[in-house]
Amino acid sequence: MDNLLLEIEEQIAGAKAAVAKENVGVIREIGDGVARIEGLTDAMLNEMIDLGKGITGIALNLDETEVGVIILGDYTRLQEGDEVRATGKLLQVPVGKGLLGRVVNTLGEPLDGKGPVPGEAAYPVEKTAPGIIKREKVSQPVQTGIMAIDAMIPIGRGQRELIIGDRSTGKTTIGIDTIINQARLNKAAEAKGEKDYRPLYCIYVAIGQKQSSIARIIATLEQHGAMPYTIVLASPASDSAASQYLAPFAGAAMGEWFMDNGMDALIIYDDLSKHAVAYRQVSLVLKRPSGREAYPGDVFYLHSRLLERAARVAEKYGNGSVTALPIIETQAGDVSAYIPTNVISITDGQIYLETDLFYQGVRPAISVGLSVSRVGSAAQLKAMKQVAGQLKGDLAQFRELAAFAQFGSEVDAKTQAAIDRGKRIVEVFKQPQYSPVPVEVQVAVMWCVQNGYVDDVKVERVREWQAKLTDFLTTRKAEILARIGKEKAIGDALKAELKTAADQFKETWK
Amino acid sequence: MKTTKRTRRAARRLFRACFAGGRLDEGRVQLAVRRVAAARLRGSLPLLSHLRRLVKLERARHEAFVETATPLAPELRSSVASNLTRAYGPGVSLAFAENAALIGGMRVKVGSDVYDGSVQKALHALQERF
Repeated sequence: MDNLLLEIEEQIAGAKAAVAKENVGVIREIGDGVARIEGLTDAMLNEMIDLGKGITGIALNLDETEVGVIILGDYTRLQEGDEVRATGKLLQVPVGKGLLGRVVNTLGEPLDGKGPVPGEAAYPVEKTAPGIIKREKVSQPVQTGIMAIDAMIPIGRGQRELIIGDRSTGKTTIGIDTIINQARLNKAAEAKGEKDYRPLYCIYVAIGQKQSSIARIIATLEQHGAMPYTIVLASPASDSAASQYLAPFAGAAMGEWFMDNGMDALIIYDDLSKHAVAYRQVSLVLKRPSGREAYPGDVFYLHSRLLERAARVAEKYGNGSVTALPIIETQAGDVSAYIPTNVISITDGQIYLETDLFYQGVRPAISVGLSVSRVGSAAQLKAMKQVAGQLKGDLAQFRELAAFAQFGSEVDAKTQAAIDRGKRIVEVFKQPQYSPVPVEVQVAVMWCVQNGYVDDVKVERVREWQAKLTDFLTTRKAEILARIGKEKAIGDALKAELKTAADQFKETWK
Repeated sequence: MKTTKRTRRAARRLFRACFAGGRLDEGRVQLAVRRVAAARLRGSLPLLSHLRRLVKLERARHEAFVETATPLAPELRSSVASNLTRAYGPGVSLAFAENAALIGGMRVKVGSDVYDGSVQKALHALQERF
C-alpha cells in the first residue's frame, strides 16, 4: 500500500511541470488522410503533430499560411476547428532486439496481440544514410539458399539487390526463402556455438498488401521457425496511404539499429511499386505538383534516400550492415516503366523473374540474361566461384542455342553438347519454395555438374539425381561438406575427395 | 471561387506593400482594398479574399488572448501586458476572457504560441502520465 501511495506521489510530482511554450494550430480543412492546419508557425518538416484523440500526424508541407499534415490513424474522428499541437519531435519508432519475433505497424505498435513491444531505443524514421567515410566495401555473403542466386547472382551484406518481375512470378518467395535460410544458418551457428558467425536478422516490410497475404507469410515464417530472427512490419492495403508511405522508412530505422550496434540486418521491402503509389496519393492530396505518370517530382529521391540507407560500415564504426532487397512489380514485363527504371538505377543489381519461365516450370523463374549483381561477386565464397564461375555464361549461351534448336535444324556435336548441358543446369537450378539448400551442398552438386557427372543422366531424372546425390552427400559424405564449409575453397585434396564421392555415387545411381 | 497560384502571388505582393515600418498599416490595407474593388478586374474577388486571409493571420500573430478561471485583478493584467510586450514587442493587442473550465491558473495564446499554466492542463498531464 505504501508503495502505491509513493508511486502516486511520484506521478503527481512529475506532472508539476513548469509552464512551457507550446506551438498550436487549428485544423482548417481535412480529408483523404490529410489535414491543412492554420498556425503551427514553428513546425519542422517531418515533425510529429499531436492531433488529439490519440492521433498523430506528420508535417509534410510547410506553406506560408498553413501546414499540410498527413494523418497516421483514423482521421474520421477529427474535425475542422480542432486544436492541434506540435510535439517538437521527429517521427520515431521503437528499435532493438525486442522487436524480433513481433509483427508491428508503421509506428512500431504491436499487431500480433503479444503485448507491448519492448523497444531498447527509439530511432527517427527519416535519417541520413551513412557517408563515404563510414562505409566499407561489400565482402561478406548473404546466403539465400537459392542455388541459382547464390551461384550466379550472389548478394553481399550491405548490398541493395532488386527483385523485379510481373505479378505471381515468385518475388516474395525469394525474400521469404532468404529469411528462412538465415533462420536455419543462425540456429545452426547457435547450436554449434560458433563465435565468429555473424547472425543476419531479417525485417520484412509489407506495403499495401492484402491482410490475408501477410497472414500467410507470417504463418510460413512461424512454420519454418524463422520468426525469432525476424521482424514483420505490416502496412496492409487497408492502412492509410501515409502509413504505407512511411512503412519502409520505419523498417530501415529498425535495421539501422542492428547496423549501429555491430550486427547485420536484411530488409525486404515488399513492394516499392505500391509504396510509390501510396506516395503519389499523399502528394496529390497535398496538392504537390505532379510529373510523369502523376508521380511527384521527388519520387526518385524517395527511393534513393531509402535504399542509400543500406550499407556496410567500417570496422571502427561497428562493422554492421544493412542489406536491402526491394521488390518491384512490373506490368506485362515492362522494365522500362518509370518506377522500375528508377529503382534499377539505384540498386546494385537486379534479379529479374520472367512469367514465361515460371509457366514453363522453371522455378525460381530467374532470367539469367537480365539478372545481375554488381557488387556481390566480391562477397561470394571462393569455392562457389570455382564451381559456378562459368555457369552464367554457359546458361546464357544455352538459351541462345536452344532458340535455334527449336527449329529442329541439325546442329554440330559441340553445340548439341552445350544444349544438353544447359538443359541439365536448368533442371539443377529448379528448386521448390521454402526449401533452401546449404551452400556446401550447392558447391558439391555444382562441382559434379561442372565435371560432367550429370551429362549421362536423363533430363527428366536430373532432379531425382540431385535429390539422391544430396542425400548421399549429407548422410555418407558429411565430412566433405564440413570441409567445404570450413575451407571455403576447393583445393586439390578436396577435389580428389569429391571425385571419389561422385564416382561412388555414380556406381549406385540407376 | 477558385484561388489560383497567380492570384495568391498577387495578393501576397499587395499584402507586402501594405507594410510600413515592419508593421501592417491599416490605412494602406483599406486603400489597397478600395482600389482593387474599384478597378473591377477579373479575379479581384479571389485576390481580396486571399488578402483578407493574410491580414487575418498577421493580426492573429499580434493578438494575445488571456484566459483565466476567475476575473483577473487590474495589476495582474498590466503585469501580463508588460511581460507580453517584452516577449513579442510593442503592438500586441490583449483580450482577457474568463473560462471556468480551466479550474485555476492562466492560459495565454499569442498567435500560435500557447503558455498553459492552468489546473485543467496539469490534470490532463497527470492523466496522461497514469
